[in-house]
Amino acid sequence: MSQGDVAKSGQVVFAIEAFKRIHPVEFQRRFLSQGTRHSGRGFSQFRATHVTKGTISTAQGSSTVRIGNTTVVCGIKAEVSEPDVKAPNEGYLVTNVDLSPMCSAHFRPGAPGETAQVSSEHLHRLFGGNVVDPGSLCIEPGQAVWALSADIVFLKYDGNVLDAAVIALTAALEDLQLPKAEFDSATGVVSADKTMGQRLKLRKRLFPATFSLVDGAYLVADADDAEEQLATATVLVVLDDNGRLVNIWKRGAGDINRATISRCVEDAGTRKAALAKELE
Amino acid sequence: MTRPDRREATQIRALHCALGQLSRVDGSAQFSLGDTSVLCGVYGPVDVKIYDEKIDRAHIEVKFRPDIGVPTTKDKWTESAVRQTFEQLILAQLHPRTLVQINIQVRQADGAVDAAAINAATMALVDAAIPLHSMVAAATCAVLESGEIVVDPNQEEADQARSIHTLAFENKTTEGPAYVDSRGDFTMDEYNRCYDLCATSAERVLAFMRSAIESKISKEAKLSTT
Repeated sequence: MSQGDVAKSGQVVFAIEAFKRIHPVEFQRRFLSQGTRHSGRGFSQFRATHVTKGTISTAQGSSTVRIGNTTVVCGIKAEVSEPDVKAPNEGYLVTNVDLSPMCSAHFRPGAPGETAQVSSEHLHRLFGGNVVDPGSLCIEPGQAVWALSADIVFLKYDGNVLDAAVIALTAALEDLQLPKAEFDSATGVVSADKTMGQRLKLRKRLFPATFSLVDGAYLVADADDAEEQLATATVLVVLDDNGRLVNIWKRGAGDINRATISRCVEDAGTRKAALAKELE
Repeated sequence: MTRPDRREATQIRALHCALGQLSRVDGSAQFSLGDTSVLCGVYGPVDVKIYDEKIDRAHIEVKFRPDIGVPTTKDKWTESAVRQTFEQLILAQLHPRTLVQINIQVRQADGAVDAAAINAATMALVDAAIPLHSMVAAATCAVLESGEIVVDPNQEEADQARSIHTLAFENKTTEGPAYVDSRGDFTMDEYNRCYDLCATSAERVLAFMRSAIESKISKEAKLSTT
């Protein structure tokens, strides 16, 4: 390659980056209209997903999940707490999704933005009572229960909050070891033995799959950040271990018809098989 | 199996709607499904904060307040869902660099609140004369522990259901759904049955909406000619 060619290829790269920034819609259309995506993936192809459990030694349960360039860490701390008066035999799981400026320029510093709040709430709806049996978190009825505080912190964000968060929380709950707790009724003190931990028996595991309708016409699986910005509709499908449906959530009034949603559910089944292997 | 209020399985509760009750907003609607009552007020197109200003379209904002207590992340979730639905349905390109603000206040909650909120928002947007691609109506179904499917569940039925399905449809219910929120423990077959029941109920709600708007306009026409 001569000096002239290197200079020219450098210019071409610069032109592509500028085009991507200045005309994001047109840039994506160049690929989507040809039946491919700017990352080279097929329309129904999910990014390589890696799950590692036990990455935070100070937390009772933890996991790190990478879906392409989206990286998220989930840490679960277990604290002893008094139960709610209305449910004296039940502990609770509090989920909190943290999307800070560190992971993407989309998010502003300060109070949690809409994406973080909506994701936290959606995780609470998916996991609360469904996955962890609240009764299994009871130490002494009416006196002491385990309060699990799950923090899902995004380190790098490149699309698909919910898939990453659901997988991370599922893995962290599988990794969770609760210290053996004993309630002394005389003193009202709970003593916990860390060396004798026990794993929680989960009711089910959740397997998510997100599909986005980009530019109103192209349905792609696992949209990255650039594609997500142009989505007019998004479908989240969540399955459990037995392939039963836990959630279908379509938001955005983009045109996704009934048959397409059925296809999404089928593709979610394929994704579940791949995720189940990764969670082992 | 009899329902608490003795309705048929496919029967929705009494629909009630009142348009233009609020004098300070550009458009308003109160929508009721039995004991669930939601009030919606719409401002638009109005001034927008510089931060939210979009050069080619209006900025859509939704505020959702529950019947009891301060707004929590639960209400933020509903705000986000309603906003994403109407963002594609409002012809925002006709009003660039403005704001359309949809304010929803739950007056009474007895199940199917999300559906009532979407319906109230549609009617309020029409009352405010905000240009829409199509109207949208929502309906809810619940699959009970017995496997029986009931339409428009009240809070008591919803608490005991194995899964709840809220779907919204545009004018033509033969095309895809505008919004789907199915949660719980269900099969594809149950989902499909709920889909059909919600589509039928949404058609009824749309017809009701149209007649409510027609009667308001004909009343106004009579008043202007006298």
